[in-house]
Amino acid sequence: MAAYILRRLWQMLPTLLGVVVLVFLLFNWVGGDPAYILAGKMSNPAQIANIRKQLGIDESYWVQLWIFVKQIVTMDFGASWSTGETISHVLSTRLGPSLTVLVPLTILETLISIGLALGVAYVRGSLTDRMVMIACTVGMSISILVYIIVFQYVLAYKFGWFPVQGWGDSFSENLFHYALLPILIGLTVSIAPSLRLFRTFFLDEISQDYVRTARAKGLSEPRILWVHVLRNAAIPVVTYVMSNLPALLIGAFLIERFFSIPGIGREIILAVERSDFPVIKAITVYVAAATMLFNLLADLLYKAIDPRVQLK
Amino acid sequence: MNVPAASLRRLHQSCRALAWGAWGILLAALAGMPAQAGAAADPNKVLHVAFEAPDDGFDPARTVNLYSGWVNEAIFERLLTYDYLARPAKLTPMTTEAMPEVADGGKTFTFHIKKGIYFTPDPAFKGQRRELTAQDYVYTIKRLMDPVIRAPSANMVSGKIVGLDALAERAKQTGKFDYDAPVAGLETPDRYTLRIRLNHPDYNFLYATAYHSLGAVAREVIEAYGQQSGAHPVGTGPYMLREYVPRSKIVLVANPDYRGYVWDFKSSGNAWDEQLVRDMQGKQMPQVGRVEISIIEEEQSRWLAFQGGQLDYDKLPQSAAPVVMDGAKLKPEFTRQGVSLYRVTEPEITYTLFNLRDPVVGGYTPEKIALRRAMAMSYNTKEEIALIRKNQAVKAEMLVPAGVVGHDPDYRSSIPYDPDLANRLLDYYGYKRGADGYRNFPDGKALRVDMRREQDSVARQYGELWKRGLDKIGIRLHLTFSNFADNYKASIQCELSSYGGAWFADYPEAENFLQLLYGPNARQGNQSCYQSATYDALYRQFVATPPGPERNRLVIEMNRQFEADTPWTLSSTRYRNWLLRPWVKGFKKHPILLADWPYLDVEKH
Repeated sequence: MAAYILRRLWQMLPTLLGVVVLVFLLFNWVGGDPAYILAGKMSNPAQIANIRKQLGIDESYWVQLWIFVKQIVTMDFGASWSTGETISHVLSTRLGPSLTVLVPLTILETLISIGLALGVAYVRGSLTDRMVMIACTVGMSISILVYIIVFQYVLAYKFGWFPVQGWGDSFSENLFHYALLPILIGLTVSIAPSLRLFRTFFLDEISQDYVRTARAKGLSEPRILWVHVLRNAAIPVVTYVMSNLPALLIGAFLIERFFSIPGIGREIILAVERSDFPVIKAITVYVAAATMLFNLLADLLYKAIDPRVQLK
Repeated sequence: MNVPAASLRRLHQSCRALAWGAWGILLAALAGMPAQAGAAADPNKVLHVAFEAPDDGFDPARTVNLYSGWVNEAIFERLLTYDYLARPAKLTPMTTEAMPEVADGGKTFTFHIKKGIYFTPDPAFKGQRRELTAQDYVYTIKRLMDPVIRAPSANMVSGKIVGLDALAERAKQTGKFDYDAPVAGLETPDRYTLRIRLNHPDYNFLYATAYHSLGAVAREVIEAYGQQSGAHPVGTGPYMLREYVPRSKIVLVANPDYRGYVWDFKSSGNAWDEQLVRDMQGKQMPQVGRVEISIIEEEQSRWLAFQGGQLDYDKLPQSAAPVVMDGAKLKPEFTRQGVSLYRVTEPEITYTLFNLRDPVVGGYTPEKIALRRAMAMSYNTKEEIALIRKNQAVKAEMLVPAGVVGHDPDYRSSIPYDPDLANRLLDYYGYKRGADGYRNFPDGKALRVDMRREQDSVARQYGELWKRGLDKIGIRLHLTFSNFADNYKASIQCELSSYGGAWFADYPEAENFLQLLYGPNARQGNQSCYQSATYDALYRQFVATPPGPERNRLVIEMNRQFEADTPWTLSSTRYRNWLLRPWVKGFKKHPILLADWPYLDVEKH
């Protein structure tokens, strides 16, 4: 197992290097010139040149790429070009609010989707199944923007069930007061596709011989579904869930923006708008690394779920 | 122990005398101390407001972010400020005893700083009270020129103060700005006197001293916090930073050491001012003890937050105008709630610029001027105001908007909306239509105008409006939508054919707008790269002319020259509708000052 993990970690290096080069090329060839943004309304060529020098973007591409690599190795991405805030502070302060919304959302989404998917898979072909599938299709066809605007107006403003927007100082206040409506909207948007996908996983298993055998042995339906079917369908479910986890690190831009949540999603958009390369670099590298680590974790979980799986 | 009664009586009398003496000394000491007005601000008076975009931290030199400036104005004090009620905006002393003495025909300004102004306590002062001195302003001004700071408002002082640019040049060579080096144009004859000498007469320099980037900072604080100075603002102003959650929340509290002032502004005679004077006259300021600022970027969220009582006042989002406004008034359902409206035009102009170096729309020959003029005449500003601005704007007739010195309310542009006349003009200059209905150059080459816009929905609507207008006169338009950074860079480098722009006043004087077309400012603020010997000569004459009718006449002449060459098509000036809850007193949006809070009061509600 340790050898497998080490080998996988070693294999991540070329992938990460590819990400680094890609981000670097994209920023330098597609991204805007930050010097013009930072120079203010009445800048002159000398000021622009000075800013480029201060930021180090007047250096050759090779030097800039080497600095980037050094930053990754030392985990020190410096400071934001637009605010002067250190990148470590940016990440540590913005990640918390995003995770306060997205972790409960992911947990609830997974549990609810699994429960509902098992239910509708069990009554496959019934009116209930068809109604749920139609509802899912309709739900998936509506943009998240519509959900946000309608829910914020109706549930928060008109009914007063939730705050319209805002973010507090304590974790509990944020989780149980400010994050509730964003989580509800997130669930409304994300349950439909998960439910449909999980239903297909469960349907594949329900039609297997072992389920018929279990029924013949007289096992209860809940036990068959929640123990046997769920365990055998767990590998694709885990794959799906783990592949979504890196998204936690990039937040939910629209939800954060509408509900004034100071999360990482808003930060990324601001950084892109301002060509704030240190912030973009750091987040991109961390998300790439997290994606690879979550993939590794998923592989390890396969083994835990099904001992027959061989890690090679 | 027995003590005689007479001795006791004498002792009692002595004690009483001592007590009175002590009181007397204490009172005398208190009389000599500055008023502790900040302590008088009521911590229960809380203002809840919103910013529509995040700040960039609170170091005045490092940012020109509007929202950073808003907070900085409440924390850092400038030499001068503006009279809260006077319109057009009028400069008044802030940390100075009086307006500066002006000598050498507008080249030398001497400021006398009030004694007894203190920075708010900070560990950087090592437990000592730190008084504001003239040297703090010298340091503040020098910082704007430090290459490492890369101050975006360096243009406020760059090229203006004797010896300062030379010091900045040395810093570029040595890599270190010598803050201790003397600068001939920045003298401090004594602790409280600052003498600034300029390279050339500049009657607008005093406006720079009222700009938020020139709010006094203490060198010890800046050096203690270094790169993180933006998170540790320490000033002498009416408020200080209590809590800061980047991208989310800024909480200011009244500075207990602030010297305060008595609200005593003169009404300009209109009903709004009269009411303000009735509400506020004679109050010790600041009244508001705490200001809570939320960063709410989305218009719907901000509007619902206002309607839901989370905000005490806010700008009405343009998209909500048709729901809330009935013409220039609030709809009855809002007035019934006690909401009041303060409506004012911004000190700004919006426009579409043509690059005068562009092979298609540029040039100064009669047929090229005719082409630009015809395009300008095809643009329907009335439609823009109705459709895009939801009737929350007025047509910009001249380069200088209302509320800015030099604006003439009777001035009317010589370029009307008239597609028929535009067609005749193009016909006259030989721009003949081809088989597809679109015109060609007089030499027969295909004519296609490229226009760049941003990617937001409003910019796209502008693009469509231009296309409709140009189609009417047979000019083929090619629209490209790109991000602001790329567009701005290309326009500064004179590489765009035409582009949408806007300018918001930094200071309330015509020069702030007229400089945008001054030839030597090409590749700086002059994004049209317009170079007219006539305009430039008028501009130089204008800058050297003291405020008055002659200066205003030059503004008119420059506007006419601008119209003759048509480097821009002027669009509109937006209205800003401020909605106020009834408990907010003293509100009148200033065209230049950002931070209103030191002038307001909040009634119990």
